[in-house]
Amino acid sequence: MKRPISRDGDGNGDLLKMKKVKVDGDADAEENCVLRGMRYFDDNVLFEVLKHADARTLAMASCVNKQWHKTAQDERLWELICTKQWANTGCGEEQLRSVVLALGGFRRLHSLYLRPLSKPYSSSSSSSSSSPTPSSVWGPISQAPVAPRPKPLPPRLGKDAVHLSLSLLSIRFYEKMSNFNNRTR
Amino acid sequence: MDELLAVVGYKVRSSDMAEVAQKLEQLEEAMGNARDGISQLSNDTVHFNPADISNWLETMINNLDVPPPPHPPLPQQHSDYDLKAIAGKAIYTTAARVKPSPAESSSSTRPLVLVDSQENGIRLVHTLMACAEAVHQNNLSLAEALVKQIGFLAVSQVGAMRKVATYFAEALARRIYGLYPENPIHHSFSDMLQIHFYETCPYLKFAHFTANQAILEAFQGKNRVHVIDFSMNQGMQWPALMQALALRPGGPPAFRLTGIGPPAADNSDHLQEVGWKLAQLAETIHVEFEYRGFVANSLADLDASMLELRPSETEAVAVNSVFELHKLLARPGAVEKVLSVVRQIRPEIVTVVEQEANHNGPGFLDRFTESLHYYSTMFDSLEGSVNSQDKVMSEVYLGKQICNVVACEGVDRVERHETLGQWRTRFGSAGFTPVHLGSNAFKQASMLLALFAGGDGYRVEENNGCLMLGWHTRPLIATSAWQLATKSVVAH
Repeated sequence: MKRPISRDGDGNGDLLKMKKVKVDGDADAEENCVLRGMRYFDDNVLFEVLKHADARTLAMASCVNKQWHKTAQDERLWELICTKQWANTGCGEEQLRSVVLALGGFRRLHSLYLRPLSKPYSSSSSSSSSSPTPSSVWGPISQAPVAPRPKPLPPRLGKDAVHLSLSLLSIRFYEKMSNFNNRTR
Repeated sequence: MDELLAVVGYKVRSSDMAEVAQKLEQLEEAMGNARDGISQLSNDTVHFNPADISNWLETMINNLDVPPPPHPPLPQQHSDYDLKAIAGKAIYTTAARVKPSPAESSSSTRPLVLVDSQENGIRLVHTLMACAEAVHQNNLSLAEALVKQIGFLAVSQVGAMRKVATYFAEALARRIYGLYPENPIHHSFSDMLQIHFYETCPYLKFAHFTANQAILEAFQGKNRVHVIDFSMNQGMQWPALMQALALRPGGPPAFRLTGIGPPAADNSDHLQEVGWKLAQLAETIHVEFEYRGFVANSLADLDASMLELRPSETEAVAVNSVFELHKLLARPGAVEKVLSVVRQIRPEIVTVVEQEANHNGPGFLDRFTESLHYYSTMFDSLEGSVNSQDKVMSEVYLGKQICNVVACEGVDRVERHETLGQWRTRFGSAGFTPVHLGSNAFKQASMLLALFAGGDGYRVEENNGCLMLGWHTRPLIATSAWQLATKSVVAH
């Protein structure tokens, strides 16, 4: 899509148009805009814009060019994405941030664990719903709502999914610590 | 009914397959030799139910007036095999295996060899059982012959069945020839195997997650906590607990860990190394951490006084054991002693994960049968895993357990698994009451399995407050939690 971009940042109008393009999730339009004029956006503006992106868009944005890659990988953006998505964990923001950043960061947490958990277990949904175990009291666990694509908001994750993801992140960190793979003694 | 033929509309019993093949040969020969032509087969013969091939062939043959072939003799008997002892048709079925040509003069018929892998699978199981029975009755020459048969039959199988049969055959051979495996195995090797097992399948992860959940709940509101781990190994259970403590609303408690493990064969202080790594992790997430490693040949060597326990008003204690308690059953009195030491520790909670099987019965044959079923299911569950190196190592890990259950006796036989019901009785009489695991543990476990690639067959089940993980309908491991019976305040 051809759009005139004013160089001296005739700000808000263009900004809103840019945002609108992003929210639609139309990758092609994004890329065209990028190639034509977005290189003149500075990092802060880009950051502000990307704050409103969803996970998929943010991930795609990091593939656009070096500047976008650097900005889209910012942990603060991914922290927003993660915390938007889950129910209150009960602990303070600072507390959560320091622990998660120490263990590998929000971006990893999201891509490795939160995202697979919020997809409604496509491979095993049939088995978990078709055969509830006879002796179990709680039956099959309730699943996150199925998200038809494209969808503006990701499904909210329950506390258990969040705790599970955090645990798995910590295990991964521990496994990757030095000497773990040194099995020859 | 044979499934493959049934799909195309023919009904043949699997047991008749050999006969049918034989008749087909006969018919072919007859049609080739027919002097009067074979037109009467199409014109005059009345057929009923062509789907029933066996009878159809019979009709055809009768109409061609072919003399029946001589009854095929049984295969040659080797002098050192005395396989008649096996009941039923386990090794011999009439006319099933090799059929020599009916008439020496006729060179057109080929010997008929049927290799039916399904039937061989059944034969394999029968032979395994027969061999175990022979061992049980101390008929070692028969057992030796049978063990060799198992080797041949196992090769015709694929996948899990083949591997299980091979491991059991090896274990039986060790028992027959008296080649008992070294015990204990080099510690770093068995650690390494366990790491692979941890990665390949969710059993250990399930154990850790469910136990941690119970410990977390028991530690609610406590400012100083102490975990005594009977199964320290690589310490894989504790990062997740430390992370959960770090994210507790109100901040983490002070966390003390006492790790107990067997001595390393190369005298390296691996318990201390694990402690260092956990300390590093603790520092990263700002949890006050203290560690002590204890080397002990057996848990029964421990005394409460060694553990430097602090008064229970200041420190809450949890005792954790994953796949360790059953080893104590090899020595009389050991498990009772350990449970009494645990009572002296006065823990808030005791978390126990054990294999859900009875591999400790008095009779060898029963143990063999039980473990054959158990490990077949285990190996089945491994089949779906992605990383083949991890898978092979996990199989070796399980293979060592199989070897121990089948080949060892007395104090060497440490893999004395018992069922949840049996442990419940034992804990009950030792003065403990059950603590029920919560639904959040169930949910987390289910989600863990959903994330886990390589098998939709895993099932989490709740069993009177305990959680079990199994493969399809068979539970394989069980997590339970206990507290002292004298405690008046229930954990939650």
